[in-house]
Amino acid sequence: MSPEISENSHTLRSNDDYSTVKMASLERLAESVVDELNKAQGESQMGLLPFRRTGNVSEQSVSNTTKSIGRRSSLKNRSVIFGLLAALFLFAVGCSKDGMSPFDPMGPVAAKQLDLFNVLMWVMVIVFVLVEGVLLYAIIRYRKRPGQAKPPQTHGNTSLEITLTIIPTILVLGLAIWSVFTLFDLQDPPEGSPEALHVNVTGHQWWFEFEYPDAGNGKKIITANELRIPVDRPITLSLESDDVIHSFWVPKLAGKLDMIPTHTNEMWFQADSDKINDDLPVTLYGQCAELCGLSHALMKFQVTVMDQADFDSWAAAYGPPPTISARAKAGQAVFAANCTLCHTIDGPDDPVLSASRLTGFLTGGDITPVPAPNLTDLRTRHTLAAGLVDLSETNLLSWLHDPSEIKANNYMSQRAVMYKTETGTSNLTNEEIDALIGYLLDLQ
Amino acid sequence: MAHAIEHEYTTTGLNHRKMLMWVFLGSDCLFFGSLIATYMVYRGQSLVGPYPVDIINVPVTTISTFVLLLSSFAMVQALAATHADNRRAIVGWLLATAFLGAIFIGFQIVEFNTFKNEGLTLGGNLFGATFFTLTGFHGAHVTLGIIWLVALAILGKKGRLGPNTALDVELCGLYWHFVDIVWIVIFTLLYLIGGFDAGPAPLGG
Amino acid sequence: MAAITSVIPRPTSYEGLWGWMTTVDHKRIAVLYGVTAFIFLLIAGLEAGVIRMQLASADSTLVSPGRFNQMFTMHATTMVFMVIMPLSVSFFNFVIPLAIGARDVAFPRLNALSYWIFLFGGILLHMSFVVDQVPDAGWFSYANLTEKPFSVDRGLDFWSISLLVLGTSSVAGGLNFIVTIINMRAPGMSMMRMPVFVWMTLITSILLVLAFPVITVGLIELTMDRNFGTHFFIPAQGGDPILWQHLFWVFGHPEVYILILPAMGIVSEILPTFSRKPLFGYPFVIFSGIVIAIMGWAVWSHHMFTVGLGPVANSVFTITTMLIAVPTGVKIFNWIGTLWRGALEFTTPMMFALGFVALFIIGGLSGVSHAVSPSDFQQQDTYYIVAHIHYVLFGGSMFGIFAGTYYWFPKITGKMLNETLGKINFWLLFIGMNLTFFPMHFLGLNGMPRRIYTYTAEFGWEYLNQIASFGYLVLLIGILVFMYNVWQSRNSRHVGHDPWDAPGIEWSIASPPPPYNFAEIPQVLGRDHYWIVKENAEAAGTPITGPEPTVDPKSIHMPSPSYWPLFTAVGVALIGGGLLSHFALSFVGGAIAFVGVIGWSNEPAAAPNDHH
Ligand code: HEA
Ligand code: HEA
Ligand code: HEC
Ligand code: CUA
Ligand SMILES: [Cu+2]
Repeated sequence: MSPEISENSHTLRSNDDYSTVKMASLERLAESVVDELNKAQGESQMGLLPFRRTGNVSEQSVSNTTKSIGRRSSLKNRSVIFGLLAALFLFAVGCSKDGMSPFDPMGPVAAKQLDLFNVLMWVMVIVFVLVEGVLLYAIIRYRKRPGQAKPPQTHGNTSLEITLTIIPTILVLGLAIWSVFTLFDLQDPPEGSPEALHVNVTGHQWWFEFEYPDAGNGKKIITANELRIPVDRPITLSLESDDVIHSFWVPKLAGKLDMIPTHTNEMWFQADSDKINDDLPVTLYGQCAELCGLSHALMKFQVTVMDQADFDSWAAAYGPPPTISARAKAGQAVFAANCTLCHTIDGPDDPVLSASRLTGFLTGGDITPVPAPNLTDLRTRHTLAAGLVDLSETNLLSWLHDPSEIKANNYMSQRAVMYKTETGTSNLTNEEIDALIGYLLDLQ
Repeated sequence: MAHAIEHEYTTTGLNHRKMLMWVFLGSDCLFFGSLIATYMVYRGQSLVGPYPVDIINVPVTTISTFVLLLSSFAMVQALAATHADNRRAIVGWLLATAFLGAIFIGFQIVEFNTFKNEGLTLGGNLFGATFFTLTGFHGAHVTLGIIWLVALAILGKKGRLGPNTALDVELCGLYWHFVDIVWIVIFTLLYLIGGFDAGPAPLGG
Repeated sequence: MAAITSVIPRPTSYEGLWGWMTTVDHKRIAVLYGVTAFIFLLIAGLEAGVIRMQLASADSTLVSPGRFNQMFTMHATTMVFMVIMPLSVSFFNFVIPLAIGARDVAFPRLNALSYWIFLFGGILLHMSFVVDQVPDAGWFSYANLTEKPFSVDRGLDFWSISLLVLGTSSVAGGLNFIVTIINMRAPGMSMMRMPVFVWMTLITSILLVLAFPVITVGLIELTMDRNFGTHFFIPAQGGDPILWQHLFWVFGHPEVYILILPAMGIVSEILPTFSRKPLFGYPFVIFSGIVIAIMGWAVWSHHMFTVGLGPVANSVFTITTMLIAVPTGVKIFNWIGTLWRGALEFTTPMMFALGFVALFIIGGLSGVSHAVSPSDFQQQDTYYIVAHIHYVLFGGSMFGIFAGTYYWFPKITGKMLNETLGKINFWLLFIGMNLTFFPMHFLGLNGMPRRIYTYTAEFGWEYLNQIASFGYLVLLIGILVFMYNVWQSRNSRHVGHDPWDAPGIEWSIASPPPPYNFAEIPQVLGRDHYWIVKENAEAAGTPITGPEPTVDPKSIHMPSPSYWPLFTAVGVALIGGGLLSHFALSFVGGAIAFVGVIGWSNEPAAAPNDHH
């Protein structure tokens, strides 16, 4: 229906078309919502449980929500919509125990952050239900009825205003104060924790470098894209960047913190064995969370949580690849000829060399050394190219053949001389590549 | 500048253009504020010289500051002459203001040149970048003011300035005084306080 | 320039293209702003489409990573600076002089200048597509990704220089409206009788003139880094990329209120009109607006919680940010109070206004949840933020603007938009917007970072992304319906001067209003002036008056058209264009602008009547 307003009507007072249209649509909405809700109810049950692993509290609230629905028909529309929204919310949130979701914290830092969020979310849901509820009530209740006279012309109510200013103030201040406490609380590992393990993390376009100044017995380790940490022990991290701003984020362990050139940011986290249900070692996911150029989306990494003993043996075994087989021996030569401009393979990177690689990178040019992942322990890693694909002989083959096939933008294929070919694929022979694979992965 | 519909009723009784000027100056405060903030943040952060203590010449700039202050006085006189409808004085004081402003700019050109010869450049270090940007934008403001003053002087010569059009002079005066005050702040911070910074740490550290 | 004026005489009428190019009439400038910004909306919406299509499936290869980065950068930059802001300014232009009972803005030619600079700035930015060197560092373009060697093509120069140009336009516009509102109110219109939209315009304008200089300095420094060898934001030479973040967000947060306050003003006009009762708690709505504007300066670092400023700074900004929810809440409560016991009429503008309130609450609450810094550490730079952005910007600003469009369209054109189409339009946008952006909350909470051009299926993000992409299609149809609605309205009948029985003064004159607006400047009787007039008439038993009779426009002294604003704007645009191509062009531009200013100041605002 298309209400036409005539030239000489100054008002809509006598014209009910608008309100009827609106009423009809509202009723339709309410109906469809009821249908939806009936469908969604089952899901909400299932969705709630994993929301927090020990979730008796949330179970209770399920029954609360369900009870209130349909109790009184005048309340129906309202509760139905919010029930639906809340159910949807919890469904989607709850379903995600997936790798990148913070909803399954494995350590005290992420757990406290989640606690805060859970409470926060409930406060927000309640405020939402109340305010939108009142709004919806007003919309439905005070729609213009045919022949209705002009409504009373109220102008305001000061004490109501003051009440409605004070209540939210208290609410938000409560949350704010809790936040402040949490902030300071999470600043450092609690007193009495075991001795922390320190790791220096450097962001590069587009991969992560991990340096353990002392991984045990004073042994210095530099590795890339895979952070190994012992369980039940605080890990303190110093975050830096070599080029642009990145952000370090392992959702299951802690929120993110930026990696900024010339600033060093400090953070800590810990993986708790009682929060991890699987057998160790477990792999957690991390991702760069600040736009850092073309391959920002592909700048990932993994955190492997392991027993202290496993960690120690990994640290002890850290060292250049053994060259037992003939293949590996051949590979070593190929590597020395082609790769050492950027990669180090026999222990921690030499700081002087690193510095010169960085200078090469920053000054640009077509063929320059660039900072590149330390490959000393490549054979013990699980992924290739900053957590992008699994580390396997096939994937390594295609990486060495043409890295840009796996990672569209990376500084290996852009700057290494062997990819300066017509097609961008390596000018190494198949035998040479095979030898390299042998060198890097034998005894995996 | 923009001649609005003049002699019209205004709610506050304040002329449109005058209010425009005031609000604009408020906006400009934030502009200079941000430039000054940049300077202060980077104070003592230069990795290489020259540092302020090496090149800042407080006595010389004190003279140019004094000249600029003097120009504000001339500006006041110009406005007074406009109200008094003394055409010769109007033109004279306006040109005097412009002239003093020009001397200030002259000082600045010489200063920039000396600094350049002593190795301070935009790209050399942060001190150079922040110093030249801040004082350069101030200089640009002064230059704009000089052009405005000269344009007014031409109008005055043609007999188009007088008590009825005093606002034209007053607006220019507001702008001029503002630019002057900004310079006082810059002079204090960059020369009197920051002028003796040596090396990468602030305050001669 | 005397040479110019003798060759090109001052235009004498608003006929034809030349008329539009030389107009200084606020109502026509409003139309220019509106149409231009709407075209930019289509462009930015199309860019959003590319984003959504790329993300519709995991491991998609529809666009290259570089192209994707360009898409969200241009999408957001365009939406913020070339859609929402100018659309708001379009309403300022049309409504403000009418709502305060004035004949035009204080500086009509400055107003035209603002428009032309805006247009050229927008074109300048989009020239980047022509040379295929498109900005790609996001709408806040964090240093030092924006510095060489990380960004070597001219994309970021296009970005910073066109934003500088656009900034000039905004500040000029802001100055103009501040003076207009403070100084040109009709007799009887005290500050506390001003319509809320006028108040919000005033506050927005003040924010504009104070916030833009800050970003201007940042942009100048960035431009100098990229072109003149300085190192403001280059860490290797001692520069600090964090300074950019501070400069950007000191501007950026007031900016988001610049984007929302006009919409809040529009909604505060519409809700009372269709509830048939005055705005509830008028002084509280005004004061909360002022408080928001002041507090908005003290919260910028909530965008920088993960920068590592330390627990003290994070605490301070957590608290200030949380508190800003309070004045905003006051507004919401008063809007609901306005509805309470009203007689609500669900016209399209009313539906959009109600949609605004409903959706803005969601966006605001997610905003409050970002403010809790420890939990924001998990949410920052995820789709949870993207969801917040779009609830406040699309559900908020855009809905407000649509509400305003439907509301004032009959005043602008004299014709009514079709109500049925309007409702279809509303429901498509309302449903589409929730489909698109609600799932983003979950995506973000499930760890999906923003600004990623691809994702793998393993984290379970694909399904929700598909819903979001589907929602985009619904939005697209919604926008098309709106366009059709405007198109078909050319055939509709004229409506009266007051089709909504509205309270504002602007409804007391003919639609579309005559060039001079008010034959006689009205004496304002109270807050809802025209309601009072109509009520008095009713009480006195006299028939409700029609619009003021029109008079011979020649009898009213109005500012005459002028081409100097356009002329000067060309100069300003060339200065920017020159920085992007040949410096020589900048000098030409500077010369043109200079001549423009001289020509302008020698031209009386209104051509003498005996002139022709
Ligand atoms: C129109 C624009 C707009 C508006 C109005 C807002 C409003 C608010 N915003 Fe939003 N914001 C943006 C646009 C906007 N924002 C954009 C574009 C970004 C992203 C920038 C980027 O990174 O690209 C952003 C990002 C952003 C962040 C950074 C997140 C991050 O990157 O980590 C934060 C953090 O605190 C935040 C907070 C808030 C808060 C607290 C409000 C408050 O003003 C909201 C207040 C409103 C309400 C709270 C609802 C109504 C109130 C009640 C019903 C009363 C009862 C309420 C309570 C008791 C809580 N916003
Ligand atoms: C200012 C307001 C605003 C508005 C209105 C919108 C509107 C939309 N936005 Fe935008 N968005 C932002 C501001 C806005 N956005 C900002 C600030 C960012 C952050 C950017 C950054 O990270 O830097 C962002 C980022 C952003 C992202 C995240 C990108 C990323 O992080 O990777 C996404 C993803 O889905 C998105 C989607 C959308 C969609 C689907 C719409 C839809 O609502 C659009 C609806 C419009 C249409 C449907 C247009 C219809 C078009 C036609 C009808 C064309 C017809 C054509 C012709 C006739 C020629 N936006
Ligand atoms: C010009 C510098 C350069 C040269 C030469 C170079 N690389 Fe790389 N390499 C890189 C960079 C940079 C990366 C990180 C790419 C990314 O993930 O973005 C990399 C990554 C790798 C990785 C993946 C590491 C990981 O942890 O994911 C392997 C394996 C590798 N290179 C092997 C080689 C081999 C073998 C050679 C010699 C044949 C070689 N590289 C030569 C720069 C180089
Ligand atoms: Cu590194 Cu994003
Ligand atoms: Cu903000």
